[in-house]
This record gives sequence, structure tokens and C-alpha cells, in this order.
Amino acid sequence: MRTQRAGSAHGDAGRRQFLSGIIAGIQGAIGAALAFLLGGAATAPSFHARQTNWWPAAPLDDLPEGEPTPVTIRVTREDGYNQVVDRQVLFLIKSGDAQVTALSSTCTHLGCRVSWDAAAQLLKCPCHGGVFDRTGAVNAGPPPAPLHTIETRVEGNQVLVQL
Amino acid sequence: MRLRTIVDWIDARTGLRAARSHLLDEPLPAGIGWWFVMGSILLFLLGIQLLTGVVLTMYYVPAPDHAYDSVRFITDRLSFGRIIRGLHFFGASFIVIAAVVHMLRVVLFGSYKKPRELTWMTGILLLLIILGFALTGYLLPWDQKAYWATTVTINIARSAPLFGESVASLIRGGPDLGALTLLRWYTAHVFLLPAALIGFVVAHLYLMRRHGISGPLQPVMGSPRPFYPYQAVKDTVAMAIAFAVLLTFATSFRVPLDAVADPSDSRYVPRPEWYFLSLFQLLKYFPGPLEPIATIVIPGLVVLALLLLPLFDRRPNRHPRERRMVTSGFAALGVAIVVLTFLGFKDSPAHADPAHWGPIAIAGHEFAQHQQCTTCHRVGGAANPLSNTRLRKTPEWLVAHVVDPDTIVPGSRRPPRGGMTPSQAQSILSYMRTIRAGGIPPPSLEGEAHVATIVLGTYCANCHMIDGNGRHEGPDLTQAGEKRDSKWLRAWISDPEAVDPDAQMPSFGDRLSPEELTAVVNYLAARK
Repeated sequence: MRTQRAGSAHGDAGRRQFLSGIIAGIQGAIGAALAFLLGGAATAPSFHARQTNWWPAAPLDDLPEGEPTPVTIRVTREDGYNQVVDRQVLFLIKSGDAQVTALSSTCTHLGCRVSWDAAAQLLKCPCHGGVFDRTGAVNAGPPPAPLHTIETRVEGNQVLVQL
Repeated sequence: MRLRTIVDWIDARTGLRAARSHLLDEPLPAGIGWWFVMGSILLFLLGIQLLTGVVLTMYYVPAPDHAYDSVRFITDRLSFGRIIRGLHFFGASFIVIAAVVHMLRVVLFGSYKKPRELTWMTGILLLLIILGFALTGYLLPWDQKAYWATTVTINIARSAPLFGESVASLIRGGPDLGALTLLRWYTAHVFLLPAALIGFVVAHLYLMRRHGISGPLQPVMGSPRPFYPYQAVKDTVAMAIAFAVLLTFATSFRVPLDAVADPSDSRYVPRPEWYFLSLFQLLKYFPGPLEPIATIVIPGLVVLALLLLPLFDRRPNRHPRERRMVTSGFAALGVAIVVLTFLGFKDSPAHADPAHWGPIAIAGHEFAQHQQCTTCHRVGGAANPLSNTRLRKTPEWLVAHVVDPDTIVPGSRRPPRGGMTPSQAQSILSYMRTIRAGGIPPPSLEGEAHVATIVLGTYCANCHMIDGNGRHEGPDLTQAGEKRDSKWLRAWISDPEAVDPDAQMPSFGDRLSPEELTAVVNYLAARK
């Protein structure tokens, strides 16, 4: 005789079902605990928002009125277990009294670096001819969106940007 | 109904139900009880190692410059990272225990006998693979313990006759223990050993199924019953208990992480993981040219004897009382291992906890709050806050940087004026090391203890050590009060040359206020 087949007697079938339930319950609980811990650890950093800070960008007095002025900002940030320093170039535009707008220098088309053409009074991208005006709005070329603006704040004579 | 249709469809093409039935309906003899759950526990624990190992691999970097920081990231900053590392770390010990208990069960029940000789041998090889995992995994955090324990392991390989040097070079991957060694051991830990483990586990399980399990010593009356659910429920309950205990360990105890590996610190005496402690202790009884007896000959003979056990003990009797040679041999081996492990524990060097806050590190924390540091080292500053700065440079660079930041980081914004004393620089370095080793903020001190701490950090740390911080130019002050009383200390610190004309130490009588002198004298005299 090989084994007692299940269902040969009513009681045995019930016992088998009961034991199967216990097995499924315990293994399900262990599996769920492991899935929760391992899944959490595996995916958590993917959903962490980038931390931002206020960084000093330039003294307010140094900025000419109405003219986009490029500034380079060293941004130290956490990169997983590592610490990196990003150098980011922004355009600061002073308008009126202590009003400063900051524009990203990254073209919204394919990510090249735009530069200020003082003669034409336009921001131009060297890669595919994207052109933006001094507010960052698209003037010509392929860029699908205006240049990103960055939060700014003035403290005393210091212009701070949020990166 | 629809689910059944889908399962029918899959079954018709894959034979899924037949495979499931083959796997789970194995008839087991009557009378097997809880003794036979160890194999399942072992398999379950190995599965946990595999899963936690995969997640750890997502964050671990096998390079000397980054390994320690990536492990620190996993432990301190990754969600559930501390628990995952705990499961992996304590899981290794659990596996060693489960493997030994499993082996003892097999020995006790005589289950290694014909026709199961090869099942036993694959089991012994699996035990060696498990120990290989433990050995290679030990190096990966790249902390002091990892570095120096691996140095010892490689030196043991070197001591082997004839091919020792070649084997050592091979496992080192180069002339020195370094980047190539780490990568090599990592590759072994995550590719080679898992492949070998899976291969031998499959072989072990195949052989187990081929011959069936050995069952109780005396056949028990009753008809065989299928594995599922009757034995499976016992296995599952045992797994749940093992998992609950393991999870308790992983959540309650901090997995140790020593200070980052420092190849120049040859004072560090490593201690192996507890399951290698008996071998470590054995080594002490065979000094010099006799060393290979402890490192190669005795362990080699034990492994060989284990492997060949079923070939020596070929009589069909399974009862332990009828196999006195084997049972007494195992008992002797067990006693020897337990005694050696116990002696090893007693004989082990005590290491200062790298996350323990000594007075110099506490003073360093205070100095680090000074504007000279926080001008740049702050959130939003030119550099990261000191509590969060990786120590990537040599201690000499760091001390020079603290003393004069501008010469070391040209172009640093608004370099702070002046600098700090080399002793203060040492203290800040100690602070950074301590905060990095444990991530626990320092205790706050008040009154005389606080004054003494600041004096030690400002003047003493460049020559003396306390609690593992500072420098080894002068005597270690950790237990200064044991040899000297406060009267002597006061005289010595005020004017060393008055006590001993050949004294090397400068006089501090005119640099310390009476309160400062009293505070530091009382503090040191109390350190016993």
C-alpha cells in the first residue's frame, strides 16, 4: 500500500483540510512578513523625494537690472551612501526692487546648456536652435516647454535659491 | 470554476499536478516526529539568506572606498535595512546551529548508513560551503574586524606546506589584501558559493527522495502517511518558531559594525565569528612551525573522517548504543569544540566599542560646533555637516585641514580665520569616527567632567590616548588613576620636569586655570 489517500474517510479529509489550512496560514504569514521587509528595503529609496535646501547664489547688489546673469552653485547632496557635489548653472534676473527670478540653464528640449546672447537679448541653446526670452518662455525652435524656474528668496543682500 | 479551468489548462501542458503530487505526497514511515524537521528549517533559513542577500546586494558596493559606507547606509538609513542585515547576519549563525543539529540527528539515528552514504557526503560538503559563506561574508563590511580577521585567514592559508603561498596569493587576488581581495571574496560570496550551494542542495534533496527518509530507529507500527500535510505541518511550525526567534534577534540586537578598516593599525587583534572560535583557540597551542597542525592537519582530518564515516561504519545497526565508536567519537569531538570555543571566548581580546563616546570624542563634538567648522560644514553650506561627512582622507590630511582649512581646500568659500590646535583637530577626528561608527549622539556632560573633557580635547589628544581616541605618542590615559593618584597627577601636569628632569611632556601649569587643572586631575585620578 502506498499511502492512505485523502478522502477515504470523512474524518481524515477534514483533518487534512485543517492541517492544510494551518500550513497555508503560517507560510502565508511568514511570506507576508518577508515580503513586507524585503520589498520595503528594496523599493524605499526609489520613492524618496529629493531633499532641497536654500543655497546662497549671489549678492543682490552684483546683479544687473533685467539682465540674466549666469551663476554657478555648488550643491552638496546625499547620493545613497555617497556624498556628491553638483555644479549647477542658473540665470538670475533682477527685476525691480529686490525681485529676483532664477531660471534653470538646462534646455527643456534635450537638456543642453543655454546661454545668454546679450546682442539679441535672448537665451539660446547651441544644440538644436532652441530660443527663450528673458522670462524663460519659448521664442523659437523645438523646446516643448519654457525654462524651469527655481524658487528664490532675498535675505538682506543675499539671493538664495532652492535646489 | 474559472481558476480550475486555468489550472487544468496549465496542468495539461506542464504536468503541474503530477509534479506537485510527486513532491508532496511522498509516503513517510510511521513514527517520525519532530526529530525530522531540522532539514526543512535549514532549507528555510538558507532561503532567507538568499532573499536578504539579494536585497543587501542592491545596496552594497564591493570596493574598499565604499564598502563600509554602503554597509553603514544599509544599517542606519535604509528602511528596514537594519532588520535585513540582522536577518542575514544572525541567520548565518542560525544556519550553522541548524546544520550541526541536523548532522547530529543523522548521526544519532544512523541515517548515514547504506544506501544513504552519498546523501551524508553531500551534506558534509554543504556544511563546508556554509562555512565558506561565513568566511567570505565576514570581509564584506570592510571594518577593522573584517580586515584583520581576513588577514589571519590568509596567513593560515600561507602556513600550509608546499602550496601555501600560492593558495594565499590566489585567495588574496594580489600581493596585498585590498580591492582585488574584496571583489574576489564578494564574487565567491554572491556567485560561486550560491551556485555550489544550490547544486549540492538539489543533489542532497534528490538523494533524500531517492532513498526515502531513514525513519525512526525501531520501526513503529502503522501505515505510512503522505508528507503533506502530516509532516509538512510539523516542518511549518518549526520554521515559524525559527523565523520568530531569528526576527527577534534581528530586531533586538544591533549587528556589530566596527570602525572602518585601517591597514596601518596593526595593534588590532581580530576575533573570528563564534563558530570558528574553536579553531582560533586551537591555533594557540601550536605555535611557530607547528601551526599547520592546527590550521590544516587537525581540521583536515576531522573533515575527512566525517566525509568517510559511512564507509568506516558499514554495519547495518542503527541504534547509537550499538555504535559506541561513532557516538563516543562525536561526543569527544563535540566536547573538544565546546571547550575550545569556551576558552576562545575567555581568551579573546576585548575591543573598545567604536561607538562608545570617550572624553576626547565628546570634546571633539563641542569643537565641531564652533563657527570655524560650521561656516562651511552645515546644511546648505559649502560642505556636508561634520556629523554626516565621510572620512575619505588620511588622518594626517584631516588634522592638517582642521588646523588650517584654507591650505587644504583652496578656494573654499570664506576660509575661517585662524585654526585649531592639533589636539583639537585630533578630537574632532575622534568625534567624526565615533559618530560614524554608531550614529548615536554624544552624552552631554556638566560641571567638572565637562571642563576636564574640554581640557583633554584641547591639550592632551595630540599625544595621549583615552578610550581608543587620540594618539599614541605618550602613555595611554584610559586607566590613568590605576597607577597615579591625584597628588602626583597635579604635580606632573603642572610641571613635569620638576617630577622627572628627563620628562618629555611640556608643562601645563601656566596654560590651565586652577579650575581646569583640578578638573582634569580629578577626572584622570578617577579613571581606574
